[in-house]
Parts: sequence; C-alpha cells; structure tokens
Amino acid sequence: MNLAEIELIDRSGYVVARLHGEIDLSNAAHLQDAIAAGMPNSTLGLILDLSDAQYMDSAGIRLIYQLRERLRSRGQVLRLVIPAQAPAQDALRLAGVSGHIDTAPSVEEALAAFGA
Amino acid sequence: MCPLPLHDPMTEHYLPGAGQLVLAPAEPHLVRPDEARALFRLSDPALSELGLDEFLDELLIRARDALHVDTVAILLLDRDADELVARAAKGIEEEVEQGVRIPVGQGFAGRIAAERVAIFIEDVDHADVLNPILREKRIHSLLGVPLIVEGDLIGVLHVGSLTPRVFDERDLSVLQVAAARAAPGIERARLFSQLTHEHRLAVALQRSLLPKSLVQPPGIRTAARYLAASDEVGGDWYDVFELAGGRIGVTIGDVVGHGIHAAALMGQLRTALHAYATEGRDPAQTLELVDRFVHSLPGDAMATAAYAVLDPEQGTLQIASAGHLPPVIVGGGHARLVEIAPSPPLGAFPYGRFQQLEVPLAVGESLVLYTDGLVEQPGVPLNDSLAEMAAAIAPADTAEEVCQLAFEQLVPPAGVRDDVAMVVIQHAGLGEQLELRLPADPRMLVQLRRVLRRWLRERGASEQDVTEVTIAVNEACANSIEHAYSPQPAGFSVRGVVSANGNGEQLVITVIDEGRWRARRGENRGRGLRIMDAAMDHVEVRAAERGTEIEMRRRLRR
Repeated sequence: MNLAEIELIDRSGYVVARLHGEIDLSNAAHLQDAIAAGMPNSTLGLILDLSDAQYMDSAGIRLIYQLRERLRSRGQVLRLVIPAQAPAQDALRLAGVSGHIDTAPSVEEALAAFGA
Repeated sequence: MCPLPLHDPMTEHYLPGAGQLVLAPAEPHLVRPDEARALFRLSDPALSELGLDEFLDELLIRARDALHVDTVAILLLDRDADELVARAAKGIEEEVEQGVRIPVGQGFAGRIAAERVAIFIEDVDHADVLNPILREKRIHSLLGVPLIVEGDLIGVLHVGSLTPRVFDERDLSVLQVAAARAAPGIERARLFSQLTHEHRLAVALQRSLLPKSLVQPPGIRTAARYLAASDEVGGDWYDVFELAGGRIGVTIGDVVGHGIHAAALMGQLRTALHAYATEGRDPAQTLELVDRFVHSLPGDAMATAAYAVLDPEQGTLQIASAGHLPPVIVGGGHARLVEIAPSPPLGAFPYGRFQQLEVPLAVGESLVLYTDGLVEQPGVPLNDSLAEMAAAIAPADTAEEVCQLAFEQLVPPAGVRDDVAMVVIQHAGLGEQLELRLPADPRMLVQLRRVLRRWLRERGASEQDVTEVTIAVNEACANSIEHAYSPQPAGFSVRGVVSANGNGEQLVITVIDEGRWRARRGENRGRGLRIMDAAMDHVEVRAAERGTEIEMRRRLRR
C-alpha cells in the first residue's frame, strides 16, 4: 500500500509522469528519484501530471523545484499539469508560489505549450 | 564360573557371551504373596498420573526393597536411535545423570533388549559389560529382565549387588513380576507425559500465533479474549490489523480439529488472511483466496472464518463469512445478529464463493466476532444460545465490556469444552478533543492527516477548513519529525480543541515535539511556515519544556 504511484508514458518525445496518491515528507525524495530515473537523456522534457495527487504540501513543492533543477542541468524542461480544483493547487496557493510556477490544466495543453 | 541353581526345565542355560547366563522365565508362584502385593501396586493406574519420573522412582524403590539389592536401574528404548537410554536409577544415579546409552544388541542390557531374555551375571569383571559405570561402582553381580508391553519391548530393568551374589529363580521371578507389573504403568505414564507435553506445546504454539496486543488506532477501540479448553487445544484465532486508507480489518476463525496440528494450521490461515487483506482485497475476495490456499494444503484442512473491514470515515462495515457464526452488532443497549447469506467453510468445496454484506456501524457501535465454543451448549438449539449471548452483551458500552459480559455470563465456572475466542471492534469516534501521540517517523504523517480530517469533520468543519488546516498541521508535524531530537525514540503530540469564541467557533491545534525548531534551509527555507501562516489565522512558535510548541488558531468557516 504505497502512498503514491507514478505512471510514466512517452508522448511525442516528452515523458509524462502521472502521479496517483499523496506526496509528503515520507515519499517526496523517493518519487523525485524514481521520476528522474525514468527520464532517458534523449527526452526533451517532463510533464509532471499532478491531477490525481490527492494531497501535496511543501515536500511536494520542494520536489518540483529540485526536479526542475535536475532537469535543467540535463538541458530538459519541466511543465506541471494541475487543474484549478486539484488539491496540489492548495499547496501552491498557500505557499505563495502559484505566481512562480506555470501549470497547465491538462496534459494536452502542456504538450501544446511545448509546441509538441 | 556360574554356580547357579540351574536345573531343567526352570532354567535353561548356555553361554551367550562372556560371563552371561540367559535365564528362562521363572515361575510366578515363587514370588511370596506380600512381595507380589507390594509389586502389584506398581500397576496402580493412579501412579501413572504422577508422571513418568515419579512413577519410575517409586518402582525402583519397591524393586530394590523386594530384592534386597544395592542398585536398580531402568533403561528405556529410544526407538529412533535403537538404543537404550538410562532413565532412572537407585544406587547408580550416575547412569542417568550421564545419559548412558547402550546400543540394542550389545553388552548386558543391550542383549536383554535384543533377545528379550533375562540375563544373569555373577561376576561383572569377567563378563561382557559395556557400561563402564557398572564397573566403576564395583557392582559384582547383575540380574536383568526385558520390559515388554503388548509384545513391544519398551526397556530393560536390572538390579545389582556390590557383593558376590547368586540370583536365584525366586529373585528372577520377583524381578519378572516387577517388570510385568511396571511395564504397562511406564508406558501409560510415558504416553501421559507425552500428551501433557504435546498439550503444553500446542498451547504455547497457539499463544505465540495469536496477536500479542491489539492495534488501537485513534477513534477505534478493540478488545479480545481467548479461553483454551482444559483438555484439548483448538485452532481458534482472531486478528485485528490496519489497512490502507485508515480502514481496520478484523477477523476470527476456527480450524476444524484439535491439538498441535490445528494450532499450526491456525497460524498459517491467520497469516494468509492478513497477507491477502493487506493487498487491498475486499472481505469476500480475501476469503476466496484463503479458501484456495486451504485447498492447496495437504490433508483435509478445513476452517470457518469471518472477516470484516471497518471504514471509520464512512462508518461502514464490509463483512464476509465462510461458514462462521453470525457476527453481532452491539450499541445503544441493543444487540443484533448480522445475517450473512450462508457460505461454505474454507476448504470445504473447491472454488468456494463468499457473500459480502455492507452494513453501517455508527459511532459508539461495536462489531462482535466469536467462535462456537461460546454459544454451543449440549441440548440447546443454536438460535436460543445466540439469543442468550445477544441479551448478555447488549448492555455493553465499550468493546472491553462486550468481552467482559460475554465471558462472565456465558462461560461456565468449570471451564469450556471447546476453545472460545472473541474479538470486538468499536467505532468509538474521536471525541471532543483530539489527542494524538505519534513517533517521529515521516510515514506517520498520512495517518495523522486521516485522523485529523475525520476529527475536523466530526467537529463540523467545512471542506475548506479541513483541507487548509490539514496541510498546516502536517507542515508543523513534518518539521517536528525532521528535527526530532531525543535520546529516547522521539515522538510528537498533536492536540486539538474547538471552542465557542465570540461570533463563531475557534479551532486551536497545538503540536509539541522534543526538538528545536529550525525552518528548513536553502530554497525551501520557511516554506512550511509560510503555508501554516497562510492557512491559519494565528501561528505561534515557542520553546516548550523539552522541545518546541507550535500553536495554531483558526476560526472555522463552516
């Protein structure tokens, strides 16, 4: 009974990581490693889909920032998918980082924004 | 070398080995009546209740006195090793202390066992004697006879004299009578002590396979009882375990059969059920998988079982039963049987299917599972005993009281004929005030959030309150966990209270830990604190007696 599970799909040269479950201090570092390990060097970027994340807090925000740094050093970009009503938006809003993190409402729109 | 009073047909003699004489059976009438009486008492069945050690002790004293000898010893056959093992002795206690073992067929005692004959040795120094202790003790003459029960050799009884002695026919017949009287007693005592040994082993095994203590998640009360039948150990079991999503699994079962095998099978079934349940299967699916598991076991394993899952957030119970007695729900002074469509016991039919029922379990109500030993009474229809049990436990207010009432009123003072198990899980609710104490382990956070959400909803908080308070409290607790500092296993506590305050209701949550407050460093510096500030109306971090205390207030939005 894992707190969260990740599903990795390849979409037009991008990796879509769809997260189901909850992100907190207990699993954030592990999730970050698992996602990074699932990113081939040939991939253009990552779409982290948090639509199904039922809970997220500052540990999840840290995951996002650190993952973005990790990808940047490999020349890859990160885009987040979080619909307006999704629980992950609460964490971004309360932490006051909504203005600094771009989110797309769906994977399709995130891909379109990449021009894929 | 053997000046024996040997004459036909009483005694036939030849030289089987150096210095040994094989004696033909002597006539019992040579034994004096008083000796016979003394020896006869050796077969007194009451003696076997003494246990083997006491019985042998008594036997040896009587044989020694009857024959006026210096030593007497009993060796019992170890069938697996085909050896005689010194089991009891008088005058040559060293034999037993040193655990002397004599191979069947060799030496004095070994030949008595192998050939089932009486052997006399007049002079040990000139005879084929294997056991050095007999020489060291300076035993001069020996007489030994086989111990036989219903045609099976079980050991050897021998007596010895420190002075040269010619054991005559009368001595032989006394020893033979002693052996004949004693052998069944030995066998009975041995079986008895084996049985008590196995009983003790089965009890110990079964105890070790039952939960040491029951989980007591917040808002849930659990209680259980196990009463073993006095004569035979059964295969009853119960278990309570936590499942994903804050749900609680509770199970009970009864393996068909008794003794150590039933106890061992019980352990397997309990483990299998727990394992399948943890995999997220619902009660009916879990029982189906356990049923398949039972079919895969050798032999005719069979068991009844019931398995229920309580979802405290929803206040619902899912229950499935494999031929088990109906569960009972107790609360508000009433007790009602939960009727589940009949299903076969585990292991009864291939591909058994089990019905599942979902029923509400309100705050305060208890689910009661039990085994048949509690309700089965000779000559009383089952429905009557079930009604009697329901009436007995109906007044209970807590899980513990259910067990108390049931056992006080339904278990006869003389004990039970079959094992009795009972397990109760009560949906107690979290109460007015939240009081949690958790170990400083990040894996506890998910439980904290679940309990907190439940408590906030019970206190009438809105969904927005629930979401934002949960994330703020989680941040405070995550900080406590990251900076836990304590020589003992560190922990933290969370207290919550809602109080009327002017024009609304105010929530106050306090998180107290045993470490120093340090906001996370670097890029994440203060992000947790910022979330707490945003989610709550007022946040105060202060040094407490042993660590840090964070108090957070928020007016509930409703």
